[in-house]
Amino acid sequence: MINLQNIEKVYRTDTVETLALNKVSLEVAKGEFLSIMGPSGCGKSTLLNIIGLLDEPSKGEIRIDDQKTANLSDKQLAQFRNKKLGFIFQSYHLINDLQVLDNVELPLLYRDTTAKERKQLATEALAKVGLSNRVKHFPSQLSGGQKQRVAIARAIVGRPEIILADEPTGNLDSAMGNEIMDILIQLNQQDGTTIIMVTHDENMAKKTHRLVRLFDGSQVQ
Amino acid sequence: MFKHLFKLIWNKKKQNFLLMSEMLVSFLVIFAVFTLIVYYYNNYKKPIGLDYQNLWVVDYNNTYNPKSTDSLNIFYENLRQTIKSMPQVKEISFCSDNVPFFQNQWTGDVHYKNASPSSDQYTVEDSYKNTLNMKLVEGRWFNKADAVAKTQPVIINEDLKEKLFGTEEAIGKLVGSEANKNDMRVIGVIQGVKAKGDYAPPRAAIYKRTDTGSFHWLGKIMIHVTPDADAAFEGRLYKTLANYMKNSNIEIEHMPNKLKSTNLFYVVPMIVTLIVACFLVINVALGLFGVLWYNINKRRGEIGLRRAIGASGRSVSSQLVYESLILATLSLIIGTFFAVQFPLLNVFSLQASVYIVAMLLSIIFIYLLVLVCSLYPGRQAAGILPAVALHEE
Repeated sequence: MINLQNIEKVYRTDTVETLALNKVSLEVAKGEFLSIMGPSGCGKSTLLNIIGLLDEPSKGEIRIDDQKTANLSDKQLAQFRNKKLGFIFQSYHLINDLQVLDNVELPLLYRDTTAKERKQLATEALAKVGLSNRVKHFPSQLSGGQKQRVAIARAIVGRPEIILADEPTGNLDSAMGNEIMDILIQLNQQDGTTIIMVTHDENMAKKTHRLVRLFDGSQVQ
Repeated sequence: MFKHLFKLIWNKKKQNFLLMSEMLVSFLVIFAVFTLIVYYYNNYKKPIGLDYQNLWVVDYNNTYNPKSTDSLNIFYENLRQTIKSMPQVKEISFCSDNVPFFQNQWTGDVHYKNASPSSDQYTVEDSYKNTLNMKLVEGRWFNKADAVAKTQPVIINEDLKEKLFGTEEAIGKLVGSEANKNDMRVIGVIQGVKAKGDYAPPRAAIYKRTDTGSFHWLGKIMIHVTPDADAAFEGRLYKTLANYMKNSNIEIEHMPNKLKSTNLFYVVPMIVTLIVACFLVINVALGLFGVLWYNINKRRGEIGLRRAIGASGRSVSSQLVYESLILATLSLIIGTFFAVQFPLLNVFSLQASVYIVAMLLSIIFIYLLVLVCSLYPGRQAAGILPAVALHEE
C-alpha cells in the first residue's frame, strides 16, 4: 500500500546541511498497524510528514496505492491527502473557535459534500470515539483525552485508508493514552485502516503489528 | 464553506471587533468623501446657464446724485451709448450688485399658495439676457411694454419654478413678495444659472425688471465683449468709465477669472478632504494589512492543519481573502444602515441619488481595499509549509 524507496531528506541553510533521513526504504501493507520509534531528532516526524505528503523528500520515491506522488500538483496532493490520509497530532491541532462537530467536519469541507452529509458523517465519527455527548462543546471545554478523541474523529470522518499518528498519546497520561490506543487498534481491526504511528512509548509500540526504529535518520530495525 | 467561515468569524467576534470597526469607520469616511464628489460631479455636469466667456463686469458706485431721476437716467443712458459705441462691445447691461460668480447675494422669499421658497433676487435690464446669453425655457424675456404693466412682471428660473409650481405651468401665474400678496406675474422661465460656480447647483432665482429709479442703487455693468477685446481695450474702457463717472471706484473683472476663483471655494475644501481621506485610507490599509498579517501568523497551526486535511495552497489563500470579505460585508451592512439614513431623513437636502451612488462607490471601494490588503497575506499563508507549521504548534 505504501512504498518508500531510498528516501533522503536534507535540510539546508546557508551554512549548515542536516541529513534528517538517510536512504529509508519502507513497505507498509494494507491494514497494517506500524509504529515508528527512535530518539528525539532521529527523523520520525520527518518520515511521517513525507509519508503524509506534507513534505517532499530530497531523494527517493514514494508510492501510495501504486501511485507515484512526486509529480502531483499542490491541488492534487491536497485532494490525495483529503481522500486517502487522516492525521492525528500530539498537540491535537483542534480549532479552538469551532465546536467539536465543526472541527470533525473540517476535512469534509474540502470535498463535494452537503451540510447534511457532513453533519451525519461527523456525528458518526464522534460516536465511534465515544464523544456523541460533546458535539456542541468547544475544545477548551474538553480534557486532553477528549481532545485527542476529537482529533481521531476528524481523522476518520472522511474514511481514509491510512491514518498517520504523530505521538498521539504523547500529551496524555497512561490511562488516557491506553484509551486512545484502544480506539486506534479498534479502527485498525474493525475497519482495516492502515495506521502508521510515531511514538516514544515502547508499550504502545508493542501493541502494533510492526515496529520500525530510526536512529540519526537511518532505519535500524 | 461560506457557512463554515461565517461560523468561524462569528465565534471570533471579539477578536474581529477591532478590524470590523476599522472597516466601518473607513466606510463612513469614504461615504462622506464620495457623497461630496458625486454631489460636485452632478453639479459640474449641469449647464452653467450663461455664456461667461468674453463677459466682463464693471463694478462701480454711483456718485452722481442729481435732483431729478430723469437726469440720472440720461446720465447712465449716455454712458451706455458711449460704451456700446466701442467696436469691441457687443452688448451691455446694468444690473444689481449680485451678479453670478460674485459673493454678493440678495435673497428673499417668493410666495405661491403654501410654498415660500427662498430665492436669489436679481434686478436686471431688458438687455441682461442677451448680454449673459441666458437660455429662455418658457414664456418671454422683459421688454419695454413691461414698464407699464399693471402687475410687476418677473422671470423665474427652472429651480424656482419647480419649488413653486412643481410640474404645473408657470407662465401667467401670480406670485407674491409677501404672503397673500400676489403682486408679481411670471412671464418667463429661464434655465438655472450656477451663480456660485461649476460645483454648486443652480439656486432658485427670480429676476425683476429695473425701473426708472433703479440707477440710484444699481452697481454693476455687464459687458459682453468681442473675442479680440484685449488689455489695451480694457485700459480704454477703464479711462472712459473713470472720466465719465468722476470719483467712482471702478473695477473691471473678467467673468472666466471670477468663475475660477469662485470654484476655488469648492475645490480647495474638496482637495483638503481628499488628502485627509487618502491619509486615512492609507492608514486603514496599513492597519488592515497588519492585522491580517498578524492573524495569519497566529493561525499558522490552523493553516498547517487545513493543508494536511485537504486544503490546497490556493484554497487557504482564498479562505483568508473570503474571511476578510465577510468581515467587510458585516461592517458594510452596519455602515449602510447608517448611510441610508441620510437619504431617508433628507439630511443636507441632497438628492437621494447622490447618497445612493456614493454608497455604492464606497462599498466597491471598501471591498477593493480589503481585497488588495488581504491578497498578499493570503498568498503568504498559501506558502506556509504544513509540516513546518504543524511542528511549530
